[in-house]
Amino acid sequence: MLRKKGLKTHDKHIKKLAAIVGPKEILFHKEELISYESDGFTIHSHMPKAVVFPTNTEEVAEVVKYCSDNDLPFLARGAGTGLSGGAIPLNGEVIISLVKMKRLLSVDLENRRAVVEPGYVNLKLTNSISDKGYYYAPDPSSQYCCTIGGNVAENAGGAHCLKYGVTTNHILGLEVVTPTGKIMEIGHDGIPDAPGYDLLGILTGSEGTLGIVTKITVRILKNPEEKQTVLAYFDDVADGSQAVSDIVSAGIVPAALEMMDKIAIEGVESAAFPVGHPKDIEALLLIEVDGISAGINEQINEILDVCKKRNVRSVKVAQDDEERAKWWANRKTGFGAMGTISPDYLVQDGVIPRSTLPEVLKRIGEISKESGLRIANIFHAGDGNLHPLILFDSRIPGQTDKALEAGSACLQACADAGGSITGEHGVGIEKREEMRFVFSDKEIEAQTDIREVFNPHYLLNAGKLFPSPGRCAEVKKELKAAE
Amino acid sequence: MSMKEKDVVQEPPCTSESLSNYLWKDKPDEDKWADCVHCGMCLEACPTYELTGQEQHSPRGRVHLIKSVADGKLEVNEQFMDPVFACLDCKACTTACPADVDVGGLIEEARGQIRQAMPLTGWRGAVSKFFLHRLFPHPGRLQSAGNLLKLYQKSGIQTAVRKTGLLKMMPEHLATMETVMLEVKQSVRKKYHKEEVVKAKGETKNEVAFLTGCVMDVMFSDINDSTVNVLTRNGNDVAIPKKQTCCGALHVHAGDRDMGRKLAKQNIEAFEDADTVVANAAGCGCMLTEYPELFREEEIEWRERAEKFADKVVDVSKYLHDSGYEKPKAEINTKLTYHDACHLAHGQGVRQEPRDILLDIPGVEMVQMPNADRCCGSAGIYNITNPEMADGVLESKMENVPEEVEMISMGNPGCMLQMAMGVEKYGRNEKVVHTIQLLDWAYQKEDKQRGQT
Repeated sequence: MLRKKGLKTHDKHIKKLAAIVGPKEILFHKEELISYESDGFTIHSHMPKAVVFPTNTEEVAEVVKYCSDNDLPFLARGAGTGLSGGAIPLNGEVIISLVKMKRLLSVDLENRRAVVEPGYVNLKLTNSISDKGYYYAPDPSSQYCCTIGGNVAENAGGAHCLKYGVTTNHILGLEVVTPTGKIMEIGHDGIPDAPGYDLLGILTGSEGTLGIVTKITVRILKNPEEKQTVLAYFDDVADGSQAVSDIVSAGIVPAALEMMDKIAIEGVESAAFPVGHPKDIEALLLIEVDGISAGINEQINEILDVCKKRNVRSVKVAQDDEERAKWWANRKTGFGAMGTISPDYLVQDGVIPRSTLPEVLKRIGEISKESGLRIANIFHAGDGNLHPLILFDSRIPGQTDKALEAGSACLQACADAGGSITGEHGVGIEKREEMRFVFSDKEIEAQTDIREVFNPHYLLNAGKLFPSPGRCAEVKKELKAAE
Repeated sequence: MSMKEKDVVQEPPCTSESLSNYLWKDKPDEDKWADCVHCGMCLEACPTYELTGQEQHSPRGRVHLIKSVADGKLEVNEQFMDPVFACLDCKACTTACPADVDVGGLIEEARGQIRQAMPLTGWRGAVSKFFLHRLFPHPGRLQSAGNLLKLYQKSGIQTAVRKTGLLKMMPEHLATMETVMLEVKQSVRKKYHKEEVVKAKGETKNEVAFLTGCVMDVMFSDINDSTVNVLTRNGNDVAIPKKQTCCGALHVHAGDRDMGRKLAKQNIEAFEDADTVVANAAGCGCMLTEYPELFREEEIEWRERAEKFADKVVDVSKYLHDSGYEKPKAEINTKLTYHDACHLAHGQGVRQEPRDILLDIPGVEMVQMPNADRCCGSAGIYNITNPEMADGVLESKMENVPEEVEMISMGNPGCMLQMAMGVEKYGRNEKVVHTIQLLDWAYQKEDKQRGQT
């Protein structure tokens, strides 16, 4: 199991890093490192130099300082479930894995906040406060295993972000190790509207390029008094999309409004958590409303009316928590379920104005035909956050490229419709080039200038988030190697 | 798009045949890892990932390693062996996986490659060979070993050993194991050796064949006795085929797939006439259902028979639940909790049936155990081969055993031994019981009360 025979290495950096974190808390053999060559985005892979497992902030700071002083590229990693490649060691980085910093440090119900370490798993927070009637709202589909530190880095979203907002709306304070190894506190534990620059806002969603978060103060919410969930089946995607628009136009703000198309349904139904959705429908909507009990039934009735007006084939309300949980498990494991119908998938993350849903979905259908690759759609329809899943087989020569092209074309379609290239998965490696669809050179430069203030030596997570890595020699070398 | 093309680190397209470093027969199945999209949903389900936080000790990490050998990026060597053999085989990842990736099957196939590439030598090889080849498959020898153990327990040597402090010289986990060793009684196969079939009490409704297990029948003969009692009481004729042998689970877990196949064939033949094969050890039952996997690449002419056989296998709790059983009338007033054996819950999907049986016993109050389907660390002989990791897993299991219970019920002998060790080690005093034992006790009490009135 764990290494028994001490450190066998002549690498001075490995020895030094081992001295900081302890000899059992570092990996450097090829067989140990290969599992770290990619995260949830597997199209790229690169071997790290080492993986270290610090157990406290001071160790993180020491590791960072050592890397910074010795010109070693480094990056932070949580559970490695990211879908844009943010934790892939493109430049042979030292990976600072934060999974051993996984404590819930405090819960302050009176002020509705909790303090966690970055390796704490998202769903565990809700599980540990639910008996007191509270929960943590951001719920990415990977919440069973992803870490809150990673959620901060990616500004993760989730099904219920339609009503409650994404991660950034729930972060009250951060402890951060800067890329040169200094420890810094930002945010004043939830005192609203602090003077000065909004550093919390800048750090959240910076994809691990500005600093490493070591402690997080999050907002927790009181459980809604009541919850109702509706499942609606449509024979026409356009009808389903139109129903989405109608629901929101009617003034209802559902907690979640999710859509799956035919191929996605084929995937989830042949996977581990089937619900029994009919296989011949073109689209389904999963709609949840929550809040105080008064008025919920009226909202549900209105939703049912809208669906009927839009030619729904059948629609039902979850009878109990068990049925609701079943529907959500089916939806939330949707990406992984693609494994049953395709050896590989590439998921995109475009955002569009809700009203353009029918036309963009049509365009995605065309892209599928042009590329010859099947594209499934599982997404947060309510906030126009699309997730086209491009199915391919990397073992067939040329298919990976085709998938990437199709993915890019989907993002172009989103940008053309007045939207954006990412809603919650981040840019990472995957969408660097597509940043040009939504930002001019000047706008990109303004952002890389900010990065330079925090990350002057550009050793932390280089080559991510923006196109044209420019000054980073390491990344240039990397590109050359790939040619 | 030129930038993008440059960007992509392209691994050369390869088929596993051309570059694979799996050079031995019975290779890991490419179709199994093709389903894994690296989503990470398995991470939190994995006890060894929970303990180490390291990807190579997680299900998807292991799948990636196994795939990397097929891609020619890694070789079958010591460093590869480490994570592959540190897997508990608990199959919790298979339950968690959205794509139903058979991680357990891949691990066992990879172990087969490792054992062919690096056969165990020296004392490890000798010990492994002694247990796996010379002892477990031979009921007679096991019985003799059991008799020796009995002698050890009855003759006063055990008392002497415990007094002399000899135990202190043993590795800690073996010493703890010694203290919880069960009293060896008469095996069921010996008890019923004159009968082909143990007849149902009263009218015969069904006929079943019973897999007695190898170690189970010597070390846990009480449970086998209870199983026969419970089955016959509920109208089942119970056949105990004499030719049956060890299920082979320990062999397959250890990478000895040839021996696994040999035992499988013997069992398939032994149970050929039966329509239903009842097992009371989750680990054995699960192995029987997986026989077809053993004949995927090798001796494929056996595959169909293995499939037919696998379809007949059922755990005793599920069998009773589905075929119907008499609810006991006597009360057993106790507070208990139920532990899901991995190879029942994750391996055979049996979760509710044993709980229902326990709740049908008057007087039984059940307290839910958090993470009841988390591995206890027994995992066959894992607690002997990987004591450090097994201890960590056991510790987190014991933390979840509710304070207020008097008994912990479960459906697997390996778990029973491990949980008994946990009870001993952490100064608890719960009694560890098999679900069917409890049902049998209730029946016995009922009979006794009836006799008295």
